[in-house]
Amino acid sequence: MTAPRRISELELHALVDGELTAEERAEVEALLAASPTEQALARDFRDLNQALRARYAGRLEEPMPGPMQEVLARVPRRRSTRGMRRWSFAAALLIAVTAGLAGYFVRGLVAGAPRSEPSFVLNAIGAHSVYLPEVRHPVEVKADEEHLIRWLTRRVGAPIRAPSLVDRGWKLMGGRLLPDLGLPAAQFMYEDAAGRRLTLYIRKETGLNNTSFQFAERDGLGSFYWIDRPLAYALAGRLSREELMTLADTVYAQLEQR
Amino acid sequence: MGVASRRDAVAAEIPRLRRYARALTGDDGEADDLIQDTLERALARLDQWRDGENPRKWLFSILHNLHVDGLRRKSRRPPHVGLDNVGVEHSAPAADGASGRDLDRALHLLSGEQRRVVLLVGLEGLSYAETAEVLAIPVGTVMSRLARGRDRLRSLMDYDGDKNGRAALRRVK
Repeated sequence: MTAPRRISELELHALVDGELTAEERAEVEALLAASPTEQALARDFRDLNQALRARYAGRLEEPMPGPMQEVLARVPRRRSTRGMRRWSFAAALLIAVTAGLAGYFVRGLVAGAPRSEPSFVLNAIGAHSVYLPEVRHPVEVKADEEHLIRWLTRRVGAPIRAPSLVDRGWKLMGGRLLPDLGLPAAQFMYEDAAGRRLTLYIRKETGLNNTSFQFAERDGLGSFYWIDRPLAYALAGRLSREELMTLADTVYAQLEQR
Repeated sequence: MGVASRRDAVAAEIPRLRRYARALTGDDGEADDLIQDTLERALARLDQWRDGENPRKWLFSILHNLHVDGLRRKSRRPPHVGLDNVGVEHSAPAADGASGRDLDRALHLLSGEQRRVVLLVGLEGLSYAETAEVLAIPVGTVMSRLARGRDRLRSLMDYDGDKNGRAALRRVK
């Protein structure tokens, strides 16, 4: 009878690290039963792994530093975990406030200043003010006409959707087609029980990069806007910034889902 | 997969990336700078992450490349003394005790190549194949560095000699 073969050191590591097939493992473990030196080695290797995990376990629980949260919040937003939601909400709000302030100071002074709003946002706010007071003709095509979405999609040149904000108390009235520097743009209008109005402006955007939520304001009329190519969106209304942000969040979440 | 769900998948890996970077560099500040850079690079290249690819492996690769680039830049500057100990002593809470700091120190006596493999396999639980991909080296090299690194760590921690050292390490659990 030949003496049993010795276990190689690499086999011991592979055993400890779960790299062996069931068959190989059975073989190595059988050999190990008769080799106390190798048994002790394998135990040491396991202990080392465990000591490493124990040593650095606390690192997994540490809160994420602010700069990491900020860089995450810059990517188009949609959170899935509750912890993330709080961070990105705070970070996005901070960015929105900063952008708003920067836009306020910079606007009109420097052509093409980095923080000034893209033109579509100003057009969206302008269009909101024009159609806001309309009683008889707030929209061109009513929400219940099924060709509304098809028509706007065809004219704007990219798939358009009208998110449902019913759960938040806003009813879709309908939409219209608008000119935006020679490009077709769509506007959806929503109304709440108190008669307040909210518009979602959508235009094709292929020149600018994707952005997270930004905030702009003109004469008390606020707008959260973002670019998710190929489309740019601006949600406008005479609402508090928080309320508008929550609605923008809902709109974004719905657009992303489908 | 949409941009936002990719971003969330990246965010979910941050605690593990930070743990590895901390063990690798031995310094909280350096580790977080490395993760910040990793995060910015990953988010700027979300479209390069292939669908179905394990985000962990992808992110560890980015981290590794940045770390190597950083070391290369640093090596052109005058040597930086006390990297291992200063950072560790400064950041280790008292409750970590002597054995935890011993482990930090022992890790930093390994070569960088060995330390990476020992940590990716032993701390992060990556398979040999994943570790090979992250570090862009053959699996055989992973295995030989792992064997040498663990062996060195084992003797530094007195596993094979002084029983007191061994008892101290066991207490860490």
